[in-house]
Amino acid sequence: MTETSAPLVAMRGITKRFGGVTALEAVDLDLHAGEVLAIVGDNGAGKSTLIKILTGVLRPTAGSMLLEGQELTMNSHSDAIEHGIDAVYQTLALADHLTPAANMFLGSELTKKLLGLEILDNKRMRSEAERTLRERLGVTLRSMDVPTDSLSGGQRQAIAIARAVYHSDLKVLVMDEPTAALGPRETSRTLKLIETVRDQGLGVIVISHSLDDVFAISDRIQIMRRGRRAGVVKTTESDIASVLGMMVGAASDQAA
Amino acid sequence: MSEPDTQAGLTGREKLDRYLALLGPMAMIAALLLMMLVLEPTRYFRVSNFDIILKDAALYMPMAMAMTLVITTRGIDLSIGSVAALTAIIMGYMVKSYGFPWWVAVTLAISLGALCGLINGLIITKLRVPDLIGTLAMDLVYRGFALVLAKGVVLSRFPEEIVAIGRGAIPGFIPVPVVIGLTTLIVGYVIYTRTKLGRYAIAIGSNPEAAELTGVPVNRYKVYVYVLMGSMAGLAGVMLAGKLNAIQATSAPFFNLHVIAAVVVGGTSLFGGRGSIVGSLAGVLLLAMMINALVTLRIEFFWQSVASGVVIISSVAFYTWLQMKDRDGQGGFMHALKTPENRHLARFALIVATIILGLCVLGWLFAGETSAVR
Repeated sequence: MTETSAPLVAMRGITKRFGGVTALEAVDLDLHAGEVLAIVGDNGAGKSTLIKILTGVLRPTAGSMLLEGQELTMNSHSDAIEHGIDAVYQTLALADHLTPAANMFLGSELTKKLLGLEILDNKRMRSEAERTLRERLGVTLRSMDVPTDSLSGGQRQAIAIARAVYHSDLKVLVMDEPTAALGPRETSRTLKLIETVRDQGLGVIVISHSLDDVFAISDRIQIMRRGRRAGVVKTTESDIASVLGMMVGAASDQAA
Repeated sequence: MSEPDTQAGLTGREKLDRYLALLGPMAMIAALLLMMLVLEPTRYFRVSNFDIILKDAALYMPMAMAMTLVITTRGIDLSIGSVAALTAIIMGYMVKSYGFPWWVAVTLAISLGALCGLINGLIITKLRVPDLIGTLAMDLVYRGFALVLAKGVVLSRFPEEIVAIGRGAIPGFIPVPVVIGLTTLIVGYVIYTRTKLGRYAIAIGSNPEAAELTGVPVNRYKVYVYVLMGSMAGLAGVMLAGKLNAIQATSAPFFNLHVIAAVVVGGTSLFGGRGSIVGSLAGVLLLAMMINALVTLRIEFFWQSVASGVVIISSVAFYTWLQMKDRDGQGGFMHALKTPENRHLARFALIVATIILGLCVLGWLFAGETSAVR
């Protein structure tokens, strides 16, 4: 990752208004391939709105987006997935009673024809899921045949990530509060998963409240404050205190 | 939904979980058989009696199959008895008053059942009426239509093909309704484990938000499930009409309770996401055997309703207890009474009991002339 190479994603002047409320005001964002960009900020700073725009859930009021230099317009989340942009939500969106494979393929099942009828290809989904988990994420589950709710938080996270990386040619992965509900052990496993995905050349955006995790995993940090970009720092050249300062406005208030 | 597998890494509890749906009803069936072995072996353990049990069970198999899917989506359908009565009455009129061929009338009944299910599904998904209220209200509507159409008339003496559907036997030994019932269960098993309908039913019942987020057309598949339920209720209506060779507007009053009881006994969770077609088969068999046992023991018909209710409550309570992650600190019944919350409840129950007892004593003290109740 170098600053000079063309960014994978470039968001320029993104503005979003809900009625009279301005959630985002001319926000820029650059994401490069093979880097983890953390977005931090207080509640209501505009983090979620920004990634909802990136993942096609919301449309910006103004501003433009480029993906690999190409103008990007999206009308829905499935448009984003088609372009190789997907998100893993904090709740992971897993159906607890289904097996890991069934969850990975939920909504886009592999099927085969049997007597002219469309039948689920459970065997192939199971082996594809196992292969994706092992080869892309380095995860081997204790069993592929247990309900997902019997797995650990990190393994559930892996299934949600595997779902994203399996489908389409994934370029950008957005992780919303990936470590929020996890203990220390599962947190470090999840951070390792994020590293694994990054090392495969994806651009990863992590939204997190935990600055410890942000400093452990990210390459750069974008600080949001009151709907604006308060700053971008290289993680190695910054520290928690100064990022906190930018979040609460100590630095930018002088400029304002 | 579980598939056979041989992989290591499953805990003993998980291995047990897969057969839980069968273990419950199997244990109850065994207990029932044991009881009948003691109480009434000669009249209960006869081939002719098991023939009756199977035919009774067969009537409920198609509905239990569909209800398994409905309940798996966290839904419920309380209108199936009325749907069965209504479709059977329409079929009866088509055959008897309009001279429709039997096979057209039968297919029509099943299609009308599907239509009723479609209406139920649309009421639940489009009008956003909760399934419990929606189908309960439609139960009144369908029953009302049946009464409007048939008044008090009993339609009887159907073509022999329709009677065969209800109580015929393939030359040899297997009753036709049993063949139909088992076929629907096998189809249901394939639906449950090998099709998107089954997979999405589990996903919807397990986590509706997740299903929606991952692109499952939640409402559409909910409607499909209710359509399947309605068509199976229609089929049951045909089978009932054939079995009795008669149908009237008030037929099938206990279908709802009976089918839900069978499905729940079979390990399908009322909280959604977990169900078993095989378990439902076991549940249907258990209920048929239980009711037959009541008849064999010459217990009044009206106790059937009590028995079904007790079976529902005890199985739901049992499965809920099994699902509890943490059973520590439970020191039995007397221990439970010692917590402050439960002591309040115990005192409250005591007050209610005292009032009832007091009123009985008062009534007895001031009792006047008596007259026989009819």
